[in-house]
Amino acid sequence: MLAIKDLQAGYGKVNVLKNINIEVPKNKIVTLIGANGAGKTTTLRAITGMIKSTSGHITLNGKPISQMPSYRIACLGLAHSPEGRRVFSSLTVFDNLQLGAFPRLTGSRAKGDFKGDIEKAMELFPRLKERRNQLAGTLSGGEQQMLAMARAIMLNPEIILLDEPSMGLAPILVEEVFKIISRLKSSGITMLLVEQFAVAALNVADYAYVMENGKIVVEGTADKLKNDPAIKAAYLGAH
Amino acid sequence: MKSKYLFITIGIILLSIFPIFIHNEYYVHMVERILIYSILLFGLDIVVGYTGQVSLGHAGLFGIGAYVAGILYFKLGAPFIVIVPLAIIIACIFGLILALPALKVLGPYMAMVTLAFGTIIQILINEMTFLTEGPLGIKLLKPVIFGFQTQTIHYFWIVLSLSILSLIVVNRILKSRLGRAFEALRDSPVACDCMGVSVYKYKVYAFVISAGFAGLSGCLYAFSEQYISPNTYSFELTVLFLLAIIMGGRKTRLGAFIGAAIIIILPQLLSDVYLFRNVATVLAAIIIVGAVILVSKKLSTFKKVFVPIASVISLVVFSYIIKSIGDWRLTIFGCMILLVVYYLQDGIVGFSRNFYISIFSSKNKSRDDVELSKLSNEDAILYAKNSSTSKILLNLKSVLMQFGGLKALNDVDLIVKKGTIHGLIGPNGSGKSTLINVLTGIYVPTSGNVEFSDKSIVGQTSAKIALSGIARTFQNVQLFSEMTAIENIMVALNHTYKSNLLEIALNLPRFKKEEVNAKQRAYSLLKFVGLNELANEEARNLPYGKQRLLEIARALALDSNLLLLDEPAAGLTAPDIKELLKIISRIKEHGITIILIEHHMEVVMAISDTISVLDFGQKIAEGKPKEVQANKKVIEAYLGAETA
Amino acid sequence: MDIFIQLIYSGIALGMIYGVIAFGYQLTFATSSTLNFGQGEALMLGAMVGLTLSNLGVNYWLIIPIVCIFGLVQGSVVEYFGVRPAIKIKSEFGWIMSTIALGVIFRNLAENIWGRGTYRFQGPVADEPLKIFGANILPMEILVVIGAVAMMLMVEIFNRKSIYGKAVIATANDRDASGLMGINTSLVITFSYALSSLTACFAGVLIAPLTLAGASAGGSLGLKAFAVAIVGGLSSGFGIIVGGIILGISETLTGFYISTGYKDVPSLIILLIVLSIKPSGLFGKTTIKKV
Repeated sequence: MLAIKDLQAGYGKVNVLKNINIEVPKNKIVTLIGANGAGKTTTLRAITGMIKSTSGHITLNGKPISQMPSYRIACLGLAHSPEGRRVFSSLTVFDNLQLGAFPRLTGSRAKGDFKGDIEKAMELFPRLKERRNQLAGTLSGGEQQMLAMARAIMLNPEIILLDEPSMGLAPILVEEVFKIISRLKSSGITMLLVEQFAVAALNVADYAYVMENGKIVVEGTADKLKNDPAIKAAYLGAH
Repeated sequence: MKSKYLFITIGIILLSIFPIFIHNEYYVHMVERILIYSILLFGLDIVVGYTGQVSLGHAGLFGIGAYVAGILYFKLGAPFIVIVPLAIIIACIFGLILALPALKVLGPYMAMVTLAFGTIIQILINEMTFLTEGPLGIKLLKPVIFGFQTQTIHYFWIVLSLSILSLIVVNRILKSRLGRAFEALRDSPVACDCMGVSVYKYKVYAFVISAGFAGLSGCLYAFSEQYISPNTYSFELTVLFLLAIIMGGRKTRLGAFIGAAIIIILPQLLSDVYLFRNVATVLAAIIIVGAVILVSKKLSTFKKVFVPIASVISLVVFSYIIKSIGDWRLTIFGCMILLVVYYLQDGIVGFSRNFYISIFSSKNKSRDDVELSKLSNEDAILYAKNSSTSKILLNLKSVLMQFGGLKALNDVDLIVKKGTIHGLIGPNGSGKSTLINVLTGIYVPTSGNVEFSDKSIVGQTSAKIALSGIARTFQNVQLFSEMTAIENIMVALNHTYKSNLLEIALNLPRFKKEEVNAKQRAYSLLKFVGLNELANEEARNLPYGKQRLLEIARALALDSNLLLLDEPAAGLTAPDIKELLKIISRIKEHGITIILIEHHMEVVMAISDTISVLDFGQKIAEGKPKEVQANKKVIEAYLGAETA
Repeated sequence: MDIFIQLIYSGIALGMIYGVIAFGYQLTFATSSTLNFGQGEALMLGAMVGLTLSNLGVNYWLIIPIVCIFGLVQGSVVEYFGVRPAIKIKSEFGWIMSTIALGVIFRNLAENIWGRGTYRFQGPVADEPLKIFGANILPMEILVVIGAVAMMLMVEIFNRKSIYGKAVIATANDRDASGLMGINTSLVITFSYALSSLTACFAGVLIAPLTLAGASAGGSLGLKAFAVAIVGGLSSGFGIIVGGIILGISETLTGFYISTGYKDVPSLIILLIVLSIKPSGLFGKTTIKKV
């Protein structure tokens, strides 16, 4: 589905990513974990053209997307729920969901059953149903995260990039978010999940990459990495 | 450096003797006007080039200068030597009245507000007939000085000497702490405030100083033209001034002079269509040749030079189509602005300098490097001031910071004891940086209280908090990138100066002494973090790790009691981190309290006395490193609960 | 007293025009945090193009859509040449200077095409005043108020109800995130400039029958409309209507009771005062910027 080869990118003169190679197969959840500042978010930003990559190839279903602007990548069916949620605060929950389906509603992507999908999304995130006409800016952090995820799903995407869905959330909400991710998984979604909560991410993922200082240092099936002591050390500096 | 002064001296001598040999008054007058405009542009450059604000009000200030001269001369018959200082002072007062509201707002607002000011001034000059004679204008004679009626040539010398004087004063101001503050507030306003240099206050200073030069320039203009009328001080003139600044080149006095020459001479060229055609052709030739050189040397691509070439060619075509040039003056000026803004961003001076460097690849430094050998090495860091007996330095009481529905900090209590290193950790988005921003006055908390040395600091400006003793570094480096390492630190040493503008302009002993002291302090601080060899390197050219160290040195220059380090180890290599640890402990030895935010656990665990853990905006744990490391909640916060 | 009420009426009509131009400032400021410093020139061009059409015998009601289309083109030109390169290099100085330069160029072009004089523009309604509350009001003044409100309402409805309008608001909220939704944000910015010039050109055709049409009429209008945008707040639709009326009335009253020469002064002084007391405008929201 999504293949990243020898990706290099960064901000200004600083090259943050050094030869990143990642593959996300169809119907699988792949997670990218690592401590803060390892370059996880930068990787996602480089994939969707929010920053320009300096070298390397990125393909979606075999189609190169490296130098495309973000909006065209989205039209090809890649949904990116960015770090920090980034909901449209002065629009309602419903409007936000509608914008998630923007390419479908404007003819750049098969329309499908838009109304049905809205209902489905509301079912998946019952909290949003109650707040359908509320402005997104007035939602709590957890609700905004739900909205950001629902908005990404509304694209009817080939693949979802989900960036730190747990950021700044209370543990109970983190739990809820991960429950929803596993429900999405059972419906056969393809996802690249960036998380700093390694254990939670590994529980839900099929395959994992561990980043450190802009490089992939370990990769393997999620089950294998779950018991790898190197991970705990990388996070807590404990021995 | 020596050759530069030689060059300037020769230029001045040539300028002063030229009216003796060239008797054509037309040319003398033209050069005189160039000098007068230069004075205004020196001042405008402080605002536009250094502080990075757009002022559309300088034609108005120029008009004020001219009319102060006109009115004082015409109504009161005041002598020249009284008029000149009054013109400067009154322009400064108007500048202050404008700057106080205008500089509260940013970029585009500022431009519009100054434009409004300029418009008001023009209306007032037109309408207040009892004072200004309205559209009739005022006639003046060349000034009488101590009973001596000056002639054209004498007046030229007066203008020349005043413009040289302005040049010297501007240079001194820009090289002093004021100039450093101006540049710093443009590079990073946040950092500038957090170094105790109030952005607002220094923007107002810059504007008022600049208004003074505009006033002087206007006053000289009135006596030079010997007739003033309201139409001169229009929007068009303001736009011309800005064109002159950006075309000549920002942040250089030579650029101001060249810019002035262009906007004075160009209208003369534009009055003759044949001359205009020739000039257009020559210009096109120069740009095409320049572009060819650049492309052949692989310094530019064909795509990049395409637009300028296309435009000069169309300019030539245009010049042969039109019959009368006068009507199209403004269109030509407009096109020039467009061209300069996007293709000659550094102006003529900047472009030539870059061109010179790229062709001869020799580094031609415009700054005066600090001579390192003369500086001594004293102990860089002052010991923390111990004003009260209380053991608690910082006390946060149920601080709440809310953004819409988001609670970035939720009821946080935190006590930091004097002389300790207090670690602050937590996952991304847990509120650490928000906390630092609340402490330094960048955010005002929604509720709760912050007490520093037993005094509440809630609601105070960042600059005031910084001066009361809280220094910080930034997560994403906020250096003054176009300034050298040592200048970066000297910005933060601004609080050590007591000398005023007059002392700076006249280069009086107290100011000189303070400058030397600051330089020494800055140098020894650099030495403390091991950057003394790189003192004259621009901050943006330093490697990332060194930039972080420079930020620490800069924060230390504030002589604060509390130092907030926001991820100092981010992006550092292992040996750098070792060095950093040493530096932090040595800071602690001086009694300075440190709050350390860090993701490199080994760093935090190694040096913190106490660690607080934040998660989803709340404090979830606190204690000694070992305790925190074993805390179940903390492990969950970092790795996620097993149940998820 | 009658004269006073009459001045209030004309003040309101004038204020609504300022409101429409200020509305145009809001449109572009929302999507790209940039303003067209030549907005007044767009209005002037609208009036002059309308005048030319009118002299050719085109019906007033037909002129309006043609001028609106002209506005769309003019706004796109400004965005493409003046603003886009500046957004690319993130230079605030760049777009301020280039929109000023384009404004100067447009004015100079207009002066060369139509001359420096001012011309009468025949409106679509009778010139005889009506009596309301004992004071005279021109039918054209009523039309201006209706037209201005209708234009702002139409744009608001478009923004709130249509998916494209929501894309505009989304771009205003968060440009990067909008790109991720598949919205072509540069096109949205171009569109907001086109729309902004459209409203200005429309305002030009509306106001020209009341004032006079001339190539140099733009500059001060643009500035006063900015004063309205500031007084009302750059984020408040209601604010600009109130702000427009306050400034419009202050202008007509000053013009009559003091001197026409001073008529622009109160708006500009109100601008300075509002900025020094409440920079976000009387009705604007203070936003906390994340560092």
